[in-house]
Amino acid sequence: MLADFGHFTLLIAFLVSLYAVVAAGFGSWQKRPLFIASARNATIVTLPLLLLAGGSMIALLLSGDFSVEYVWRVSSLETPTILKVTALWGGQAGSLLFWNMLLAIFLAAAMLRKWGEEQVFMPYVIMVGSFTQLFFLGLSTFIENPFARLDFVPPDGNGLSPLLRHPGMIIHPPMLYLGFIGFIVPYIFAMAALISGKLDDEWIRTTRRWTLVAWLFLSLGLILGGRWAYDVLGWGGYWGWDPVENASLMPWLSGTAFLHSVMIQEKRNMFKMWNMFLIILTYCLVILGTFIVRTGVISSVHSFARSDIGPYFFGFIAFMFIFSAFWVSKRRDELSSPNHLTSFLSREAAFLYNNFVILAILAIVFLFTYYPIISELITGEKGFVGPTVYEQALAPLFAVLLLLMGVAPLTMWYRTSIERLQMSLRWPVVATAVFTLILFLLGIHSVGALIGLFVVTFAAVLTLLEFWKGTRARMGRGENAWQAFSNLLARNRRRYGGYWIHMGVIVMGFGVIGVEIFQQETQMRLQQGESLSLGNYTMVFNGVERYAGPDDLVVTEATVDVLKNGRLVKTIHPQIELYTRTQQPMTIPDLRATISEDFYVLLVNWEPTTADAATFRVFLNPLVNWVWAGGFIFVIGTLIAAWPDPRKERQRVPQPRRAAIGAAD
Amino acid sequence: MSGVSWTNKDEGLVLEQPKQNRLKFVVAGVVLVAAIVYLVVNAMSGNTQLYKTVGEFYSEQARLTGRDLRVAGWVMGDSIQYTQIDATNSRLEFDIVDDVNNPTQRLRVVALNEPKPDLLQHQAQALVEGHAEDSGTFVANKGGLFLKCPTRYEEMQPAASS
Repeated sequence: MLADFGHFTLLIAFLVSLYAVVAAGFGSWQKRPLFIASARNATIVTLPLLLLAGGSMIALLLSGDFSVEYVWRVSSLETPTILKVTALWGGQAGSLLFWNMLLAIFLAAAMLRKWGEEQVFMPYVIMVGSFTQLFFLGLSTFIENPFARLDFVPPDGNGLSPLLRHPGMIIHPPMLYLGFIGFIVPYIFAMAALISGKLDDEWIRTTRRWTLVAWLFLSLGLILGGRWAYDVLGWGGYWGWDPVENASLMPWLSGTAFLHSVMIQEKRNMFKMWNMFLIILTYCLVILGTFIVRTGVISSVHSFARSDIGPYFFGFIAFMFIFSAFWVSKRRDELSSPNHLTSFLSREAAFLYNNFVILAILAIVFLFTYYPIISELITGEKGFVGPTVYEQALAPLFAVLLLLMGVAPLTMWYRTSIERLQMSLRWPVVATAVFTLILFLLGIHSVGALIGLFVVTFAAVLTLLEFWKGTRARMGRGENAWQAFSNLLARNRRRYGGYWIHMGVIVMGFGVIGVEIFQQETQMRLQQGESLSLGNYTMVFNGVERYAGPDDLVVTEATVDVLKNGRLVKTIHPQIELYTRTQQPMTIPDLRATISEDFYVLLVNWEPTTADAATFRVFLNPLVNWVWAGGFIFVIGTLIAAWPDPRKERQRVPQPRRAAIGAAD
Repeated sequence: MSGVSWTNKDEGLVLEQPKQNRLKFVVAGVVLVAAIVYLVVNAMSGNTQLYKTVGEFYSEQARLTGRDLRVAGWVMGDSIQYTQIDATNSRLEFDIVDDVNNPTQRLRVVALNEPKPDLLQHQAQALVEGHAEDSGTFVANKGGLFLKCPTRYEEMQPAASS
């Protein structure tokens, strides 16, 4: 009954979206504002309809109606209540429904915002937005119906894999979805600008915050996914260049390029065509990402069931790409910029280099991710590219990107003199070189590590100097240090929020170098009382305890003393949990975490017959917490950059474009 | 900069770009693209793997033996063996097949000093990086065992009897 109702609301939402597309199209064609207003209402109404559908699904999950196939798949009688709710996005059909709900929220929010000057965009925003919604609703309603029933009622459901019962895993998919869908909004406005021919930077100003928020969610999704892998998967790593991971990294990369290059359009009225290209690319990568994740077209360690929605996705991406390309080519004259780069050494040139490097990284990730398909087309044999190849090809590009990150803020718009740049770089270079020399004398002799550490340190010094210069200038006007610093951030949110984000990336960079180059690991069986050493750590195995946990869980817990330089620093308890009903084991690492390294211990084997011996796998992960700390700094920076500035909001009245000359800042 | 001229366009004074400047950008772009192609080719040469199913492997066993492969298959639960040889050595073995219900060709996978992955169970889908030896066993690389993450673990339609 409830299932039928849910499916019915989906069907209605589908028809309403269809109406919105048609009415908006007709209204703008025939210049009938009433139809556009009606299309707007239809777009808004999609949201409550989808909330009803989602609510029905949650009710079905909570009541454990296993006659609904989806509920049977992802839930069970024993599933804790909160996980029953989050099972909404635990499977294919449900996550598509969830995706539809989120898209409806974004579109309704876009409709309900205060439309000022951008009113001309509205019919096109509705058309493109509702068309995207229509596609996903079509999938949900007709192909991957989450409300489909089994023809009998199973007594219990499958339940959720215990590996997914991690808080990071519960919020990681919604974060990624919010990021993915968030990027659809700037795309819709970009298309509206193209179709309406209003090609100034209005669409960019309107969607700036949307873009930042989408980018924030996508970043959070990536970081949480890495944290989950580190905590749960037990290989001491956080990123494996798996196709599904890459699928969310790629739109993040093009989105990052877009966030940078729109600044040139705003300041210099350049790169209009390029920005259009970037947002269209991001949109296509978002849709392609959902396509890869859902169709299993590329073998990945993430398994979504193979399903037959592949061709539909492919058709949709192709259509949207051709549609976008058509409008770009139709408006190419308006998109060409009257301004040109005036110097290789200027802020806009620096942004250009940044875009070039990011897109090169994106192209390489794309090539490697799709290498199985590409190689099969060319050689007839499916190839595969492993993580080491990615790292080898991308490391130099990431180094260049970090260098640019440090140097670009020192450049000026239009032109920077080389003497000036040399002057500002001289002391940072000397300081970084001295620091790197000290690292060398301290025993770091890996060339890769020294180059990497030089680059991140250099970027760190330059970025910190930016904060220092800004703060000192304010202190010179009588503010105390804290006031000066906080005002600096509050008054120039985008700029200093951006530098703050750069600091986050730099801190992550230190962490990545630490783990990638200096990770140590070993595996050994120990008798009770025996110890093993790794780096300057020693661990002593003090026995195993076995006890029953909640539900069907049996926990095998080892007690391990961790000694650093011979001194006891912590007692830890790595575990093997066994869900007896499904016989699913789960290895739970325990670790001693400090700012300089993690001593990370997995209990990998314990045989009850040889009661006193257990096998451990141990990792020493230098600087790994810098990865998480950097992620945290990064998120704070994005919030600073995206936070509304009440003073600027008030000033936001249309201004005549400043003369192109003399407006440098 | 020499060769710069000022012209009056719709949007006010605009710095005209000298032609040679554009040429410089083109040359710089070509050099950069070449550098990136070099990075890719250099990283890939000799480091890519062939992706095979168990059946595909056996159809060309002679040619593929010794080469770096990534083999995909399903795990036969009753074949999983974990042996702790001594304090520092362990051996994990299991068979993978293309179809668990009709396991005609089994590929024996051996992983030395690797922990037994949590997801290594009957009917789990495995991706194994490594190479086949002349004896026919497939030796996994270090860290080369991947079991499909159960993200949205979705199984077959339940049998009506269950």
